[in-house]
Amino acid sequence: MSTHEAVQAGETPSFAAASVRARMRYQLIATMLSAPAIALMFLLLIGPVVAVLLLSFTDWSLGDSDFNWVDMATYQEMVEDDIFWKAIANTLIYVGIVIPGSIILGLGAALLIESVTVGRSFWRAVYFLPVMSTLIAMAVVWEFMLNAKFGMVSQVLGFFGVEAKSWLQEPDTALPALCLIAIWQALGFNMVLFMAGLTSIPRELHNAAEVDGVRSAWDRFWLVTWPLLTPVTMFVAIITAIRSFQVFDTVHVLTKGGPDNATMVLVYQIYQEGFEFFRSSYASALTVVFLGFIFLLTLFKVFVVERKVHYQ
Amino acid sequence: MKFRSIIGAIALTAFTAGAASAIEIEVQYPYAHLFAKTYKQIIAEFNKAHPDITVKMRAPYESYEDGSQKVLKEAITKKMPDITFQGLNRQRILVEKGIAQSLEGFIAKETDFEKDGYHKAMLDLGTFGGKVHGIPFSVSLPIGYYNMDVVKKAGWTKPLPKTWEEVIELCQVIAKSGQQVDTMFWGWNITGNWFWQALNWSKNNPMLDQSETKVNFNNDHGKWAMRTFAKLVKECKMPNYNLKEAMGNFSAGKIGMYFWSISALQRVTNDSAGKFTLKTGPYPSVESTGGLPAGGNAGMMLAKDPERAAAAWKFLKFATSGRGAAIVAETTGYMPPNKKANEVHLKDFYAQNPNKFTAVAQLPLLREWYAFPGKNGLKITKIIEDAMQSIVTGDRVDEPDKVLEEMSEKVQKLLPKTSS
Repeated sequence: MSTHEAVQAGETPSFAAASVRARMRYQLIATMLSAPAIALMFLLLIGPVVAVLLLSFTDWSLGDSDFNWVDMATYQEMVEDDIFWKAIANTLIYVGIVIPGSIILGLGAALLIESVTVGRSFWRAVYFLPVMSTLIAMAVVWEFMLNAKFGMVSQVLGFFGVEAKSWLQEPDTALPALCLIAIWQALGFNMVLFMAGLTSIPRELHNAAEVDGVRSAWDRFWLVTWPLLTPVTMFVAIITAIRSFQVFDTVHVLTKGGPDNATMVLVYQIYQEGFEFFRSSYASALTVVFLGFIFLLTLFKVFVVERKVHYQ
Repeated sequence: MKFRSIIGAIALTAFTAGAASAIEIEVQYPYAHLFAKTYKQIIAEFNKAHPDITVKMRAPYESYEDGSQKVLKEAITKKMPDITFQGLNRQRILVEKGIAQSLEGFIAKETDFEKDGYHKAMLDLGTFGGKVHGIPFSVSLPIGYYNMDVVKKAGWTKPLPKTWEEVIELCQVIAKSGQQVDTMFWGWNITGNWFWQALNWSKNNPMLDQSETKVNFNNDHGKWAMRTFAKLVKECKMPNYNLKEAMGNFSAGKIGMYFWSISALQRVTNDSAGKFTLKTGPYPSVESTGGLPAGGNAGMMLAKDPERAAAAWKFLKFATSGRGAAIVAETTGYMPPNKKANEVHLKDFYAQNPNKFTAVAQLPLLREWYAFPGKNGLKITKIIEDAMQSIVTGDRVDEPDKVLEEMSEKVQKLLPKTSS
């Protein structure tokens, strides 16, 4: 029973006042107890974001002892910067290829593994291996595999008559090669999530569908499995999107954003501007844009995905 | 045992700290895999000459980039070493931000500075705004590396190329001879602008005008430079290798000619031993009025406290002296910039290592590795790298003039509006 109701119910005012005081004390204690956590949250999470935001309106560069406010000049420069637009486009292309690629293949792998009766855990472990290995180390392996002269990829493709290339050094193939590595890496993770989703689908629904005349496995997939997997799929899509937006390690190890900015992505540009060119304010402005993208994704998740997707 | 040695170390530190006159200075340098041996030897000899100064080495910088990054960060927290060794093109940013101290005061007190081998061309590499801020420690110059087996098999009997036209001629001779090799690799990707500067300096063409507010390389010399690069890529069918691939393939005998920094000589000599005869030759097409950009690094003073700075100066002077520089030449592929080192300490050494002497003979050509001014200085090097890359990938190999024009426009936008 809340205080408000208590007063309406005709209890004595003095009792109500005491109860108000008790509630205030209760709130005060609650605030005090959560104060350290809130302070830390401001210090560690919100503080840096605000600092970055403020920095993007200055001309400060690393090592400077003072700075000037320049309003929107940094953003103005960003809009006119070809590399920035290329980075945005590349990031979107990358995300656009990696999300469907890793979801379709991850789901396919999950369904195939579910369908076999022998060696299920073996296949699961095999597909999950790339997730457990460090991507940087694996990137070095990929560098060898993609080498024009002795790389496995070139040799296998050469067998089919495709001309060998320095895949990571050609502007046309560098970004697709990075997408391929990302899909290879994300596949196992998505597969595990899908397998968890698959096991939560009640068997009876499949049986019921069969009784109702759904004969082919394909129809059963579209009518039963896929609709019930939508929450998992959306979750996987969002996670993959956020991870793809943050792509950095493979770019750093394999291409450094080259050739000719063909693999320049947003996070790598932030790194390059901030830590190679020491243009801290420009890097901050790029970070603000990056945070904007992540924020939009989060909003999308909260307002669209979580409302539209029917959970059981 | 380990414990005891720690105790011993602590006791020793306490003891040295207790000694009244002892002073400890901190030094940090880049590329441990190249210089660890060098500094060890220099410090050992320095300690003998100056027992009252203890030199503490900080963990080396991974690279020149890492070096400037660390100092810039430490400048905020005031935890800088007393002496830092920085890439020659990385000095300017520390001078512009007021982090590196001028060395003029110390030099003025030296009596025989010039005679000790510190000649003007050397000091110019560390001079900013008319004041010496850095003293070159190890320098490198671009040279030509030749796989003599490939050259001979191709049937080339003339002397090694002296111009880029002759290089292209040799390329075509090698290509026709049917050997399974790439004809040539030209180190455009060393920082993406060093070889660009080399082509321009060879015509004595500075990057910017006197006021440092206007691009200068968009002139005829610049056009010649970009066209020459495009021609080399096209006529020699130059492969688009990265740094590692290029050096690896040349050392393995898979490339005929290799234009690169002298600093790699030690490494290439070791890796190619027993596979082919290696010969070095001068960098082609350098005009009599022209020069070549110096690579390498210089020692800079960060200490402000006069007592520490005085001790730090003693170390910096020793490391760059004739003796210190001789150690550099003996332990690395770099050349000592110090005249005395080359003329006195290393005379016999070069007689035995003629490949190393190629660059020493080029020493009079020494020009600065130009660092672009202002906050966008390092970003500009990236613009140049991108432009060069668009040619080497073959995308724009047929339009060098247009590439140069666009590159000049972009660089112009990033330059400071007024001269500093």
